[in-house]
Amino acid sequence: MREADTLRPPQLMEVSADIISTVEFNHTGELLATGDKGGRVVIFQREPESKNAPHSQGEYDVYSTFQSHEPEFDYLKSLEIEEKINKIKWLPQQNAAHSLLSTNDKTIKLWKITERDKRPEGYNLKDEEGKLKDLSTVTSLQVPVLKPMDLMVEVSPRRIFANGHTYHINSISVNSDCETYMSADDLRINLWHLAITDRSFNIVDIKPANMEDLTEVITASEFHPHHCNLFVYSSSKGSLRLCDMRAAALCDKHSKLFEEPEDPSNRSFFSEIISSVSDVKFSHSGRYMLTRDYLTVKVWDLNMEARPIETYQVHDYLRSKLCSLYENDCIFDKFECAWNGSDSVIMTGAYNNFFRMFDRNTKRDVTLEASRESSKPRAVLKPRRVCVGGKRRRDDISVDSLDFTKKILHTAWHPAENIIAIAATNNLYIFQDKVNSEMH
Amino acid sequence: MEFKLEAHRIVSISLGKIYNSRVQRGGIKLHKNLLVSLVLRSARQVYLSDPCPGLYLAGPAGTPAPPPQQPGEPAAGPPAGWGEPPPPAARASWPETEPQPERSAVSEAPRVGDAVPAATVTGVGDVPQGGEADAAEAAWNRVDGPRQAAAGEAEDPAGGWGVFPLGSRAARRPCGCPLGGQDPPGTPAATPRAACCCAPRPAEDEPPAPPAVCPRKRGAAGVGGGPASCPAPGSTPLKKPRRNLEQPASGGEDDDAEEMETGNVANLISIFGSSFSGLLRKSPGGGREEEEGEESGPEAAEPGQICCDKPVLRDMNPWSTAIVAF
Repeated sequence: MREADTLRPPQLMEVSADIISTVEFNHTGELLATGDKGGRVVIFQREPESKNAPHSQGEYDVYSTFQSHEPEFDYLKSLEIEEKINKIKWLPQQNAAHSLLSTNDKTIKLWKITERDKRPEGYNLKDEEGKLKDLSTVTSLQVPVLKPMDLMVEVSPRRIFANGHTYHINSISVNSDCETYMSADDLRINLWHLAITDRSFNIVDIKPANMEDLTEVITASEFHPHHCNLFVYSSSKGSLRLCDMRAAALCDKHSKLFEEPEDPSNRSFFSEIISSVSDVKFSHSGRYMLTRDYLTVKVWDLNMEARPIETYQVHDYLRSKLCSLYENDCIFDKFECAWNGSDSVIMTGAYNNFFRMFDRNTKRDVTLEASRESSKPRAVLKPRRVCVGGKRRRDDISVDSLDFTKKILHTAWHPAENIIAIAATNNLYIFQDKVNSEMH
Repeated sequence: MEFKLEAHRIVSISLGKIYNSRVQRGGIKLHKNLLVSLVLRSARQVYLSDPCPGLYLAGPAGTPAPPPQQPGEPAAGPPAGWGEPPPPAARASWPETEPQPERSAVSEAPRVGDAVPAATVTGVGDVPQGGEADAAEAAWNRVDGPRQAAAGEAEDPAGGWGVFPLGSRAARRPCGCPLGGQDPPGTPAATPRAACCCAPRPAEDEPPAPPAVCPRKRGAAGVGGGPASCPAPGSTPLKKPRRNLEQPASGGEDDDAEEMETGNVANLISIFGSSFSGLLRKSPGGGREEEEGEESGPEAAEPGQICCDKPVLRDMNPWSTAIVAF
């Protein structure tokens, strides 16, 4: 992995007044969607590179903004349903239109995004403003022609998948078959067909008959990128279950269970909390899985269930501060993780607007900061360091001066290039490694 | 000793979180509350396992058999399920009762540590530490008010029997005996165990409906008396809990649709109060140490069932009872 100073000046955009709650590139990387706490989705599009404006090569501009979810109130249960977008997943593009799924706690919606850059002109019966013409003035027939117009991006909800979940939806994942997708809440996973909204199949149900016996919940789930019958879900106990839908209709029984024995020397009151997996991602190759728990990211090989093949410490200096982090609720923060396109580098967020990258090949890691200072023109991202006592260098940050309100929970990596999107509260940073834009 | 203080602090924080989770937008988060309950369990285990003179040791922390489902009750329990809205009346009084367990826990834990039995939930009305007592009493006042208002039952002899069943738990002693007049608040029992010499209360004393017992109104009511004396069941003039209390409405609400069972604080706490669970069953059977930190099911949702017709559990943890209180 190249040094961070080769990264281009980042793009900084203030997406909205609301906190960004999810970030997702589409399959080509041309589009980048963000969801926020206010239920809005903002889509960015990468500008094609042009020789005329070399400095704006490949920058992302706002493409479309729409309100995906509104706050709702379930009168029967007296529960308010937040409009916050929990996850966005793009569908593979099958025609000129783009489609994505967005979900809040209870309802998943399929949105279709289409462009209109031409409009017909020269109607016989309507004038330019669309008013009906006086027929007596029509003396000849003309064929309406399509004339270019300013690009208009239209977004429309095509499907609404409602009432499938009793508990809060935490993840959605589109199957590689491009026909189905799954949605997971705390206790159940449902399989939907993209065209059918009035029913779904329950494929995992870990709700105990007696809720008193509940010991773990589902925290994340994802379909395998290539095998349409395989999916994985993670639990609050730190385990991963790989399930095969060919084995049974109800995949409560896992095909593989990935679990690492707890290190007894690290036992504390909060051991269970910090072992809860907050995110799971298959590698692009489909051979590995990446998990994030509170202090580490781990790489698992699908062929080995006993333990991860790699473990990276994200911010181990927090281990001694778990009690304070429990008090201020930070210990419940759910960080996401991401692979780069070639599966050689993994990335995850941390506090103080820091995010971390780990190169799996060189075993080198770097801490970078997403801040306004770093987004000035010509700015290069300087590696940061958190000092934990001992010799302190000039620009080091001490653990105690970390700002825990500035957390980077959501990050995304372009599927093919070294472009990353970092959500820092209500700001979106896009960093591009222009010098080294090819993956290796 | 440091561990105990730390554990105590963590318990207080955890209870606060559970309390706050009820008013959070979007409903109660199952995952977070589960994690908090696990922390509560760990802290409790540490707290109880730290040997201190006079500290009553918890019973086996093994996994007890889950309490039997109440007949006719779906797995989603009454007001208690995770996130189920409690019966309207109960809900009305909910906010007021919330602060108590915190105080109770806070006030009780140190007492246990001091070998003074936090004994009772009375802790709420007790004077373990001066300042807290006043606050606790004030809390009780608040509890009574809304509960009465919510109940709207004029004929309730106890007057303070709110519909809010969980509030009644606060009235119970660790042993499960409701506070009696003979045991004025502030009287610390020797140890929770010793304090509880109450004889098993016959089932008939317990109304079928969960009695919302207001500890202060209990007066002479309830099973047994103070630490010193345990009147035979039925021998004490009892203020019977309201018979016209409805069953926790939510119990039946699951018939049509599954309720989202997210953290009901009281149930959670009640489970946390492990051995307490046995008291929640209709059938006598004594308390079995319930799996701690787990969410409660329908049983815990039987607020009123509390303890009354069960033999006192010797291993009842005083402050866990207080936690159960609300």
